[in-house]
Amino acid sequence: MQGQAAVVGIGETDYYKRGESPKTEFQLASEAINKAVADAGLKLEDIDGFTSYMESRNDPGRLSAALGMKNVAFAAQPWGGGGNGVAASVAIADAAISAGYAKNIVVFRALAQGQFGRFGQSKASNYAHGNRAYSAVYGMLSPAHICAMQTTRFMHQYGVSQDSLAEIALAAHAHAQLNPRAIRYGKPLSREEYHASRWIAKPFHLYDCCPENDGATAIVISTREQAKDLKQTPVPILAAAQGLGKRDGALIFNEPSFPTSFNREVGQQIWQRAGITPKDVQVAQFYENFTGPVLMAITEMGFCEPEEINEFVADGNIQGPDGKLPINTSGGNLAECYIHGFELINEAVRQVRGQSTCQVKDVEHSLVVSGPGFSPGSAVLFSRD
Amino acid sequence: MQRYMPDWWVLPAINDQNREFFTSGEIKIQQCEACGQVQHPPEEVCHQCQGIVFDWRSCSGEGTIFSHTVVEHPIPNSLQERVPYAVILVSLTDYPAIRIIGNATNIDADKVAVGQKVRAVFEVIEDEQAKVTLKIPQWEVIS
Repeated sequence: MQGQAAVVGIGETDYYKRGESPKTEFQLASEAINKAVADAGLKLEDIDGFTSYMESRNDPGRLSAALGMKNVAFAAQPWGGGGNGVAASVAIADAAISAGYAKNIVVFRALAQGQFGRFGQSKASNYAHGNRAYSAVYGMLSPAHICAMQTTRFMHQYGVSQDSLAEIALAAHAHAQLNPRAIRYGKPLSREEYHASRWIAKPFHLYDCCPENDGATAIVISTREQAKDLKQTPVPILAAAQGLGKRDGALIFNEPSFPTSFNREVGQQIWQRAGITPKDVQVAQFYENFTGPVLMAITEMGFCEPEEINEFVADGNIQGPDGKLPINTSGGNLAECYIHGFELINEAVRQVRGQSTCQVKDVEHSLVVSGPGFSPGSAVLFSRD
Repeated sequence: MQRYMPDWWVLPAINDQNREFFTSGEIKIQQCEACGQVQHPPEEVCHQCQGIVFDWRSCSGEGTIFSHTVVEHPIPNSLQERVPYAVILVSLTDYPAIRIIGNATNIDADKVAVGQKVRAVFEVIEDEQAKVTLKIPQWEVIS
């Protein structure tokens, strides 16, 4: 069964390097939401719901007071403290709209890392508690280390090359050169620069890792019925999925399917619900925490077998606007701006509307896959009306 | 043996679930008394039968490097003097599905490779604050 919801508005603030935003995180959230509501041709008082993810600091009570809303009929977040919830936050809004719990839901993410510090940064203390004892004691501390461990095994198991990791970074930077919003606009990246950049945690070079940024992005989701009367071409949510395989929630790399990006079940479910296959997708946004997990996510979503990933990403195949499957066409987390991946949702909607700075031709289906390597995974598929 | 990470680095906060792992001087894995399932890290409920009574299964201390990373960028900055260091993921010979994080203590970080055979060694540390003798499992590459 498909939901009844469509994206009717999108908005984003200017994007900044970490700590350079002149506005607070809450001010950024308000600005992005105002822009998305205006883009839809709605008023703030029409909004009656919020969803977000990653334990948003900008709670619905404070937001609704500041935005002068008449009612908050629905507010929710998926579990978890990671980018794996990007698409899930849209899925929850889709479900709520389809169930009639709210009429116009804002889905958003805002962050000002200068104001609040790096999200999830490990701090040294004398003791590692709980399950961190099994990892932090050995110097396994950050998401980079976790994803590096997954990626090393993936590369070993399937013969994946360092150049395939590079392709993800190169595509993001190439696309950012077309996008004036992008932090890396005017700063192209060559393959030589990629390989010469310093190591962070092998197999990740500097350019395999997403940067730290400040900004906010938001969308408005309404019923497809109401969407017809609004300002923009509505972008229906064709399908969404969360997924996590058997015992894949086992900790510190004891999931039976390791190395996994936690997207196998996500992929199976979303294609089944949508009634299409990966071949029917013209453009995709894959959350890049690090390049390696993106490669894993491409295979687990069913675009190719792991043994085929080197060829799948080579030769400009993932570069837009003319590649076989352009990915991260705004520059993504790596080169547009890291708003914990929500900027990818806005870009996926733009691709259906025909408004991308790297516009792919004849987009019927536009996919977003959330943060790989953290569970549960999620994805959302937009379609032409 | 000298600690692989710096002397001042974090220690495991010992509790009833991890005491055997970090103090016994053996590689000990949680085993469900009802169904015999082994699992790591220790959990409050058995993943196979949802039992809640557990014992500990001693393992040979032999394993294979299943994956690894070499950390070059220090987090936090105070590890600047320690990088590069290698973190390894060991698949136990006795229970290949069980994977344990550790360090390869006897070779350079860049010499670590998937498939190397390892054997458990233990860093004995007196944690005077917690009044416990830790025997932190670590690994030596043997081939």
